[in-house]
Amino acid sequence: MSFAIETEGLVKIFRSRWSGKEVRAVDGISLRVERGATFGLLGPNGAGKTTFVKMLLSCARPTQGRAMVFGRDSREAEARRPIGYLPENHRFPTYMTGRGMLDFYGALSGMESAARRKRIPELLAMVGLAEWGDVRLGKYSKGMLQRVGLAQALMHAPSLLILDEPSDGVDPIGRVQIRDILQALEQQGVTIFLNSHLLAEVELFCHDVAIIHRGRVALEGKVKDLTAGSGYRVEAEHVPERVEQELRAKAMAVAQRNGNVEFLFGSRDEANQAVDLLRAEHCAIESMARTASTLEDVFVRTVNEQ
Amino acid sequence: MNSRTLRVTAALVRDTFREAFARKIFWGFFGCSTALVLFFIFIMRIDVVQGAIATVSLFGNTSRGEDVQRLVRQVHGAIAAFLFTAGMFLAVFASAGLIPSVFEPGRIELLLSKPVERYHILLGRYAGNVLVIAANVLYLVFAIWLIFGIKTGVWTVGFLWSSVLIVYTFAVLLTVVVLVGVLWESAAVTTMVTFGIMIVSPILAQQVTLERLLTSETSRNIVRGAYYALPKVFDLGRIARSLVLGSPIDDWMPVWSSALFGVAVLSTGIYVFARKNY
Repeated sequence: MSFAIETEGLVKIFRSRWSGKEVRAVDGISLRVERGATFGLLGPNGAGKTTFVKMLLSCARPTQGRAMVFGRDSREAEARRPIGYLPENHRFPTYMTGRGMLDFYGALSGMESAARRKRIPELLAMVGLAEWGDVRLGKYSKGMLQRVGLAQALMHAPSLLILDEPSDGVDPIGRVQIRDILQALEQQGVTIFLNSHLLAEVELFCHDVAIIHRGRVALEGKVKDLTAGSGYRVEAEHVPERVEQELRAKAMAVAQRNGNVEFLFGSRDEANQAVDLLRAEHCAIESMARTASTLEDVFVRTVNEQ
Repeated sequence: MNSRTLRVTAALVRDTFREAFARKIFWGFFGCSTALVLFFIFIMRIDVVQGAIATVSLFGNTSRGEDVQRLVRQVHGAIAAFLFTAGMFLAVFASAGLIPSVFEPGRIELLLSKPVERYHILLGRYAGNVLVIAANVLYLVFAIWLIFGIKTGVWTVGFLWSSVLIVYTFAVLLTVVVLVGVLWESAAVTTMVTFGIMIVSPILAQQVTLERLLTSETSRNIVRGAYYALPKVFDLGRIARSLVLGSPIDDWMPVWSSALFGVAVLSTGIYVFARKNY
């Protein structure tokens, strides 16, 4: 089975022309994205996400390793035919109208003139810019540029959509609209690869994620599995060493916080038993609460652990 | 060339024209050319007597007894000389931004994400740029040729051929714009380097005299090497003048050696572009 995206030991080293100094932007990333998946790529600034995406699109040449798109080497021009791409800091030519821009990029994607003429009004209507088609892009707001950019990425009905910060600058209504479009595409079997800083957005939309840190995959998995770490948090004061050791054996996690000890238990019964024990030992209970692990928790924990 | 390749090429050429229109480059040239054409239509009056002698009227001043053939060739020669000097500088200056603009961050990634080979993107842009200038040069030269032909009955084909040579010379210089644009992505550097080559051309054209003045063999070799390696803009201008005046052309070396330069520089530009990270 060929994957929508498959990379093996992908490395990108940038060398300064004058000083010879090396920067390993991507350091051996091996990643597989199944066909039809909704995949989120996360990572702090400078983690190597954009360089990774650029290698998928052959904008940057890998120093080592290889990237495949639907089984084809990403360096082949044909490998890019099924890809629709929206870059993060795009700079669409401002002398073009929305319609002209879609026509231009549609032609570059190999679409015939008749197909372009039919597709353009459909897409402009889909992104809510039907009445703006003949207006120059220089007059568009940032949110409108983002929407027409999405239309550009969808122009040739791609099977793989790579979106870099698709909601950047878009108002909340526009975000919902974009999410609806992406959900409709997901149902049509389009593979969606989302590169975003908005963790809530990724959590809402993507089923699979990878967290990249310092050019490497720090964590990879299904969103539902990664965020399954919900439980009960018990924070107590003056916990004797013996009791702490006893509870540590039952807890999922233990942390020291301002002289207090915080235990995380997987079930309510375990949490209640712990409270009983702590009270029997005359420890003061500072707080007790139910917790739910968000993708943000997972992200912060992963990045901090590295 | 299959239909998909043609479609992509047409899109790239069309895009270059659109950008030239938006930057007012095309309209600037077109406006100047039209002004010159209107000048020859309405202001300059030529009356031909007995098919050989003409009276020329300009702003009410009349000059009599001009040889028609000579008059037409002089005007054609002046226009060709203008296009080869000031026109060429203007064309390079106007085009210098059209190539590096493609490499702007946020624009180049989108172009490269399309299923088009990198050399195709660069050649499409190059062709579009040549055609923008060619359209203007051919419009001006053909219109002048037509006006003088109708007014005097003198139809000199050499003037039309000179326009082809002007576009050819521009196409050679544009390869420098492409290479420097790929390397430095700066319109300013691109303009400076290309202007430098244009300015040094008439100096190197005096290669024989220069070699006589130089005492060191190394210096003579450098001058000789530079003369043969660089495009011979000045010599091409001389050939264009000969074409207009109907004089025989004894040496075509500047044409083919400039073509070799253009091919080598454009190939290097394509090679660098194909390997560059964006």
